[in-house]
Amino acid sequence: MAGGTKRIEIQSQQRLKSLMRDYFLDLDAAAKDPARRVAWCTSVGPCEILVALGFATYFPENHGALLGAKRVSHHYIPHAVGAGYCAESCSYTTADIGAALRKYSPLQEAYGIDGPPRPDVLCYNTNQCREVQDWFQFFGKHHESPVLGICPPRYLGSVSVAHIAFVRTQLQQLVADIESRFHVKLDPAKLQEVVALSSRASALWRRVLDTARSSPSPITFWDGLIHMAPVILMRGSRVAIEYYEELLREMQGRVESGIGAVPAERFRLYWEGMPVWPRVRELSEKCFDLKVSVVASTYCNSWAFEEYDGGDPLEWMARTSTEIFINRDEVFKQSFLLEMRERFAIDGFVFHNARTCPNNTNSRFGLAQRLRDEHELPVLVVDGDLSDGRFFSTAQTMTNLEAFVEQLAELRTPSRACVTGGGKP
Amino acid sequence: MTPPALLPTRRDREALFVGVDAGSSATKCVVIDVAGTLLSQSVVASGFDYAVAAEQALDAALRGIVPSLGGAFWNAPADPLGATGGCRDFPGTTGAKSISAAVAAACRGDEDEAVSALRADIARCVATGYGRANVRFAQSAVTEITCHARGAREWYPQVRAIIDVGGQDTKVIRINARGKLVDYRMNAKCAAGTGTFLESIALKLGVPLRTLDDLALTSTGRTVVNSYCTVFAGTEIIERIKNGEPRQDIALGLFRSIATRVGEMVGARDGAVAATGGVVAHCRAMVKVLEEVLGASVLLPPLPQQAGAYGAALLAREAQWDDVSEDPGAGRRMPGRSACHECSSQG
Repeated sequence: MAGGTKRIEIQSQQRLKSLMRDYFLDLDAAAKDPARRVAWCTSVGPCEILVALGFATYFPENHGALLGAKRVSHHYIPHAVGAGYCAESCSYTTADIGAALRKYSPLQEAYGIDGPPRPDVLCYNTNQCREVQDWFQFFGKHHESPVLGICPPRYLGSVSVAHIAFVRTQLQQLVADIESRFHVKLDPAKLQEVVALSSRASALWRRVLDTARSSPSPITFWDGLIHMAPVILMRGSRVAIEYYEELLREMQGRVESGIGAVPAERFRLYWEGMPVWPRVRELSEKCFDLKVSVVASTYCNSWAFEEYDGGDPLEWMARTSTEIFINRDEVFKQSFLLEMRERFAIDGFVFHNARTCPNNTNSRFGLAQRLRDEHELPVLVVDGDLSDGRFFSTAQTMTNLEAFVEQLAELRTPSRACVTGGGKP
Repeated sequence: MTPPALLPTRRDREALFVGVDAGSSATKCVVIDVAGTLLSQSVVASGFDYAVAAEQALDAALRGIVPSLGGAFWNAPADPLGATGGCRDFPGTTGAKSISAAVAAACRGDEDEAVSALRADIARCVATGYGRANVRFAQSAVTEITCHARGAREWYPQVRAIIDVGGQDTKVIRINARGKLVDYRMNAKCAAGTGTFLESIALKLGVPLRTLDDLALTSTGRTVVNSYCTVFAGTEIIERIKNGEPRQDIALGLFRSIATRVGEMVGARDGAVAATGGVVAHCRAMVKVLEEVLGASVLLPPLPQQAGAYGAALLAREAQWDDVSEDPGAGRRMPGRSACHECSSQG
């Protein structure tokens, strides 16, 4: 590989593999055990309530990402289109629905299980997008399971006490609905414990991401896409905390030893928007070859919540899930990105315009242009998609990335660019 | 086929510099000397194999130099703008001494030997274009965005935006007063707004692209083909033909469709605009509607299609300059080279 220096693998990855295996095998066991219950949850949603009530939690968004990363989404999306879903609506949703219709799951070959566990209940939070509601409705009908959810106010500038109170009320109603349907009672102390564990894992994850402030950065966005799994899938568990303690130690060790994820780091970029799951490897390798470290991202940061202070756990859940970047207005998003630029010494921003994910695409309402025009920041917008590889042009994107690095290099170097004239035919 | 060896690198004053733009439709090659003067160029079809096309383009460009190396060297007609390659006198004219092997071969009438000798004079080659990684004899690769900017700026130092309408994509490249690349945009993954769009529609209408251009130039209509998709544009054209719209208006509407996409990418205009690429090189109607949409005149370089290759050759020369302690062209000042009027640097 070009770049001069060899990539040094993150050792904690071995432990992560084993954790992931344990997680999916336990989900499969829970689905088959009449004494246990399974809840499907959105990734930034009310999962702590379900965990505190003893449900095993499964996250369809993770499955959508797996289908993308396995580069099979385009095989299954047509089946969802045949069932009436638009090919340009969320490709996580359409790939997942299509795969379910064809009874396929990457979990089958990865862990030898049947696939996603059958849900006893599906709980969504539309803080990210309305698509999750429709996605869950499909699977609710498919599995004949109840679908519950909360709908917080969207696209907020500042988040007020009234906003939080509104969402908290919905969470309270959600708890009441689950208690009534399943004849269970939520123990407030148990919820506090789960929220504290969830918050602790999230805080550790934030500290892991913060190690990228060092140069060379010990971790990149591409690594983060792998290592973020526990903070989503294993929230409220001790294993997630132990995992991030180990990962943080490793990253701190790398910082102390000067080990970089991209050893000859020349430029530090920010990735805004969803990953291009089907092309993560190519993009990661291209960045490595270009000596570019993608040191921070909106996506990986989406699960780095504010720490729980021991107060009302429902209020913490209401606040953290409503305050997330994706749920904010453009003014907030712009100031957040500028803060990240300072925090991580960013040389340029890459915006991913994900064709089927308008909610997680932030280049469509002038934000990229404003960063460029008002703050003179180098910005690149690449077209692609989170899961459907057919919307991604490898040649065009790689040329775009190379040209962006050439632009950064030119801007950094005072050159002889002023020599004009001459050589005219 | 055995891959050819990398070209040797030379640092002397007789060195040649080569830029190869391996584009989706055509591969372009430009050869310049140490002073940056364009000596020869070529355009060949890219076909199925970029590596072969690059070899052919280099060979054609070098052959374009040979006629002026022979007995008529000093009086050879300058023809760098010839459609299939050409050359003119070397600048500074240290004469046959500087390229003795090539001149000797040319005088003997041995064109192959002269090309071989010229090849040995190549100090550095930079490849660009989608097939840049396949140009085996190039020492380095640079994107077409940087190369088009460099080429256009050499012709027009005042330019601030370069519109490159290529076969596979359309780019709008912005440079600042210091010549630095500050921003660029590419069309989304779709043929609409590219040369392929025109070729596809011309094929559908059963006319050569040149005919489409000739037709468009006679139109005074306001037709715009609105569809964003090449397939839908085809349907829209059929509808317009059915409705009896004049052919020349439909033809101009096609070019206007591309210009409208380009206009969206250009956004707020600040400074002079130049157009490069195969489409503007071959279709005068394209320039006409670009000017109409942008509301400003568009600079058209002498070799619009070869702007990327020319930029690559200039970058090859500058890279060599970086590698040596002195400017190899310093002994013979570049014609027209001057102090930059917009900053304190001296040329």
